[in-house]
Amino acid sequence: MTGRHPDARVVKRKRTAAQRLRHDWPLLVLALPVVAQLAIFFYWPSAWNIIAFMDYSPHRPFWENPFVGFAWFQRLFADPYFVPALLNTLKFAAAQLLLLFPLSIILALVMHSVVSTKVRSTFQSIVYLPYFFSWVLVVTVFVQVLGADGLVSNWLMSLGGDRMTFTSNPDTFLLLAWMQWAWKDAGWGMIIFLAALASINPSLYEASAVDGANRWRRMWHVTLPGIRPVIILLLILQIGGILSVGFEQYQLQRQAVGYQATEVLDTYVYYRSVIGTEGASFGTAAGLFKGVIGLILILAANKVAHRLGEQGIYQKS
Amino acid sequence: MTAVDIKPKRRGSNRPMWDEEPSLVGKSLKSLFLIAYAAAIVVPLWAIVATSFASEEALNRAGGNLLLLPTDLSLAAYHEIFSGGALTDSLLLTIILTVGGTAFSMVLTVCGAYALSRTSSLLHRPILMLVLFTFLFGPGMYPSFLVVQKLGLFNDYLSLILPVALSGFNLIVLRAFFMNTIPGELLDAARIDGAGEFRILLTIVLPMSKAILAVVALFYAVGYWNIYFSAVLYTPGLETQPIQVVLQRMLMSTQGLPESAAGAAQYQPQGEAAPTAALKMAVVVCTVIPIVIMYPFIQKHFTKAVITGAIKG
Repeated sequence: MTGRHPDARVVKRKRTAAQRLRHDWPLLVLALPVVAQLAIFFYWPSAWNIIAFMDYSPHRPFWENPFVGFAWFQRLFADPYFVPALLNTLKFAAAQLLLLFPLSIILALVMHSVVSTKVRSTFQSIVYLPYFFSWVLVVTVFVQVLGADGLVSNWLMSLGGDRMTFTSNPDTFLLLAWMQWAWKDAGWGMIIFLAALASINPSLYEASAVDGANRWRRMWHVTLPGIRPVIILLLILQIGGILSVGFEQYQLQRQAVGYQATEVLDTYVYYRSVIGTEGASFGTAAGLFKGVIGLILILAANKVAHRLGEQGIYQKS
Repeated sequence: MTAVDIKPKRRGSNRPMWDEEPSLVGKSLKSLFLIAYAAAIVVPLWAIVATSFASEEALNRAGGNLLLLPTDLSLAAYHEIFSGGALTDSLLLTIILTVGGTAFSMVLTVCGAYALSRTSSLLHRPILMLVLFTFLFGPGMYPSFLVVQKLGLFNDYLSLILPVALSGFNLIVLRAFFMNTIPGELLDAARIDGAGEFRILLTIVLPMSKAILAVVALFYAVGYWNIYFSAVLYTPGLETQPIQVVLQRMLMSTQGLPESAAGAAQYQPQGEAAPTAALKMAVVVCTVIPIVIMYPFIQKHFTKAVITGAIKG
């Protein structure tokens, strides 16, 4: 069709590296900035993780820093602040998975069932907007509305109630965090699921309706299987990111709520090591622990998805 | 089809023929859910805009920090923001960071995505693997911080752009678009006519990808506009901070809580009077407005361009 020689593929394979270089050098030049960027700001710092196994000091030449094996990791697990930070991280990740994920699906299903395109696009625009707001903005909005001097608090006080302490109460911080996710991020999940819903062939609905399936049975037998690949894809990414719940949301509310309730692994590294008294090796060990666990989890989740016959995040090769 | 189509449809409804009308209870529950959700987003934003235009007296009378209805309008807060002080500097800095950062990010991403869209080229697979691995692993906060220090970028505005300049996700989305949407025959024809790769990229590929390029650029722009963490980590010592950091300092200064965390001291404003609620909300409005302006465009092209590229590509 393209007029290629039938043996084009064979001929291509026979070209030597020098010939390919002569032919492909413009593409290599185009790829060079990306390779340089990744080398400097991704792979170079990744290589610096070696100092998690050294007693690193910036004041002596690199090769004079002695190797200490897993000593920093032992120290990490013995640190009384580390395990609570790890447990908090897991708690927030689980809460996101168990509450935010179904909420995004429910929002998408409800939105999908709205027939009027006008109503649909209006609501879609509103719910999706806060996804683009910064965490500083989201926390500000929550303090202004639900804080001690906020809108709701003032209204309650004018009715004779007490001042609200919701935005500074460590006991209810998980609920506050969940409301913030629902406010900021549920719209993003909804958009992705809506796109998946739109890709389901409408004749499947029609056929099952003709066969007598009511709306619930159609949802169970057509809709949910239709969005299953997307659900699994997002689930894998969520599981891989289980130790990366973010930094800003927790750092921003640390002062108001206290560190016990808001400490997660990222804030732990920042406050203990980057601006704290623990050195570079300690902070690097904590970060490497997070990175390696994340890598293992995402590969394992992907493997399970393949076993279940799903595509996962990358194809089996 | 023909037999059923005779039944008249309710006017204005595009509900398909086979779909039964939902019950009244189901319908009202659904509407209630959607209206409550939308109100939880719209009402606070409205109150913020209203408060930013409120005068000091109106706020004192209301006794709170948010108003639903401003009684006497005042532009004092906006006058203070744009009168050339620290807030003006911060807004200017954030605009420069956003424009410069987005331009740099786009050059990187477009070149990389085009180079990697040619699957038969030399070293294609290893370079692609270099990009894809960034999805699986993070180098960690401290090593990244060390590298910024070693490069001499600590407390330099460049450290707010360079470390975050490339998003592997955006690159892969753009690459999928180049591969799936631009006909290979067109590129082959140009090549036979003697056009080089740079010319093909500039004169054929880029003009055909305007919509997705705009969406990717807007995603980068929103990222740079919202920069907070990088500034806390890499440029804590600089006088003029990005607008998000300034907003955070204003928020902290009025929460009036005792310090509970080591290291929080550096974010406390130095002895300045607490900003009025109107000024704070006016800063919030200024940080929201660019997003709201960019938003309809992202909305229009996002689902079409990015989602289909990411999920199917």
